[in-house]
Amino acid sequence: MAGRENVRKPHGTGEDTQLEAVINDFISRELVQDASLLPLGNATSLLETGVLDSLGLLRLVVFVQERFGITVDDVDLVPEHFDSVDAICAYLRSRDGGKVGQAGGNG
Amino acid sequence: MAYLLQHLLRDSAARAPRRPAVAVGERSLTYAELDGLSNQVARALLAQGVAPGDRVGIFAPKSAAAVVALFGVLKAGACYIPLDPKSPAARLAAIMTDSGVTVVLADQATAPQAAAMASSVPQLRTVIVVGPHWGREAAAGAEAGATSQGPVVVPWDEVLAEPAGALGADAAVDADLAYILYTSGSTGTPKGVMISHRASLTFVEWATACTGLGEQDRVCSPAPLHFDLSVFDIFATCKAAACMAVVPEMTSIFPARLAQWLEREQISVWYSVPSVLTMLATYGNLRGFDLSRLRAIIFAGEVFPAKHLTRLMAELPGPRYLNWYGPTETNVCTWYEVPPGSAELTAPVPIGKACANTDAFAVTSEGGRVSKPGEEGELYVRGSGLMSGYWGDKEKTRRVLVGNPFQAAYDEPAYRTGDLVTLDDEGNYVFLGRRDGMVKTRGYRVEVGEVEAALYEHPAIREAVVLPVPDEMLGSRLRAVICVDGPAELTREEVVDHCRRRLPGYMVPDVVEFRETLPRTSTGKVDRTGLAEHGR
Repeated sequence: MAGRENVRKPHGTGEDTQLEAVINDFISRELVQDASLLPLGNATSLLETGVLDSLGLLRLVVFVQERFGITVDDVDLVPEHFDSVDAICAYLRSRDGGKVGQAGGNG
Repeated sequence: MAYLLQHLLRDSAARAPRRPAVAVGERSLTYAELDGLSNQVARALLAQGVAPGDRVGIFAPKSAAAVVALFGVLKAGACYIPLDPKSPAARLAAIMTDSGVTVVLADQATAPQAAAMASSVPQLRTVIVVGPHWGREAAAGAEAGATSQGPVVVPWDEVLAEPAGALGADAAVDADLAYILYTSGSTGTPKGVMISHRASLTFVEWATACTGLGEQDRVCSPAPLHFDLSVFDIFATCKAAACMAVVPEMTSIFPARLAQWLEREQISVWYSVPSVLTMLATYGNLRGFDLSRLRAIIFAGEVFPAKHLTRLMAELPGPRYLNWYGPTETNVCTWYEVPPGSAELTAPVPIGKACANTDAFAVTSEGGRVSKPGEEGELYVRGSGLMSGYWGDKEKTRRVLVGNPFQAAYDEPAYRTGDLVTLDDEGNYVFLGRRDGMVKTRGYRVEVGEVEAALYEHPAIREAVVLPVPDEMLGSRLRAVICVDGPAELTREEVVDHCRRRLPGYMVPDVVEFRETLPRTSTGKVDRTGLAEHGR
């Protein structure tokens, strides 16, 4: 897509926190509208704070799909999986037997 | 005779007092309740010294309380100004100062934030709390916003002590302002589009007829109050004595939840920007729900990508599909009904033909009238639906509300939309693009000049250009190209953070690029076309 930036690739050894860093980085840079929410906590509710709106969610889904080469199903698009950085990472790890989290993505 | 917007409520409350007017989840307000409560709000406003013609802020998301509040403002003879609680405080302060708002209506949850605006808006003297929490979470200590220096906070109990009966004769006439909607302004300050009762009713009457709205309808639009789409689900719904259903924000975000909600709430008419419908078509699992009550889907605000509209119509073949077009300055002025059973659409659907009591014509660069396919021109709009002008800015108003170029005998305003159009074989107008620096992103209008002005406020930024990058989902993404002053160092994060403090989220650039210099045209202007092509 035109104008899309390269997202910083995680580096280091496959630490669990890498995935959190990738997701947190994307949300902080692309979706947070209220500067007072930064730095964004991994447990912060993205819905209660208004960080996620319908287009924000779409961009997030497109991002994780492209980044990790997975397809997010309709039924998985629920608040339980997208309410916080931690929730998103837990959901991603539950996909592909946890391959997503360990590999740090194929983006 | 209904010549003011509040007459729609008066008439529906007399005709259908027990019908639900606004539904939020399980709860609903009947027309009789909405009428009575808004009378009480009107009296509370008058008691606070609000006079006919005054501007009153509505500091709340779309909710039952907000609908009670805005009818209260109209009944007091005043004009309402939606203030989006999610906007940066600096932008809200600019709007409140520009419009001279001294009294604000808030709900239980937003009252403290509204009262806190007094620190940057000294003229703010009163915050009136409207409603118990009607479907919204009540914030603890909503009324603790009153401090010795802050504005007076009038609690809901005090509003409820006012009589609920009808007020006396109307002070307003139909040329008076009903509301002012602030949109992005090219010079860096938002501009207030003034809409009179007559202009709003011109749209409302056409829209009610166009959709055949009746008492059985349940109408929903997720558009916030400051977006003119909300005029339809508030006022056309009220005219028809139908029910306005408020979709919880959390629900509208998740497509399958939204589809489930549409089924459960038996929504019959839906009105939104195309991107919400794209989400619904892509992730809504629409075939898994019974949406047989949904009889009309209306979209406006931006171009609906043909691919996604085709998919939506295939997933959901039952409803009518209506494309409504019109800048805030004209209300909806043209419309097009997508023929049912349309095969694969290959191009965006036309914006169509003029609405009732509206004239739309296109003027070529030579000053002639566009009359056949292939000719291009700028769309002009004439009729009672036009705005009264930009609040406090006669100069800017004169630039867009020009005389009718084809009629010289008397003064008559026509609005220059800045949109370039052509005609198709059926006589429908087809949108081609913009004449100026306006960009649509997520259905919102953005003047790139306003984003550039915000960037220039940063001391390290020497030059800045903002360009739209076409994006299938968003309409456009915003790309900022920046030259940093001398030795200063600046990161993307700092630029974005700087913008977030000054601009609503949809105006913050998605992409930030740094350059040593900007390319120039032969006349010394920044070469926007060259930069745009380079970015693709």
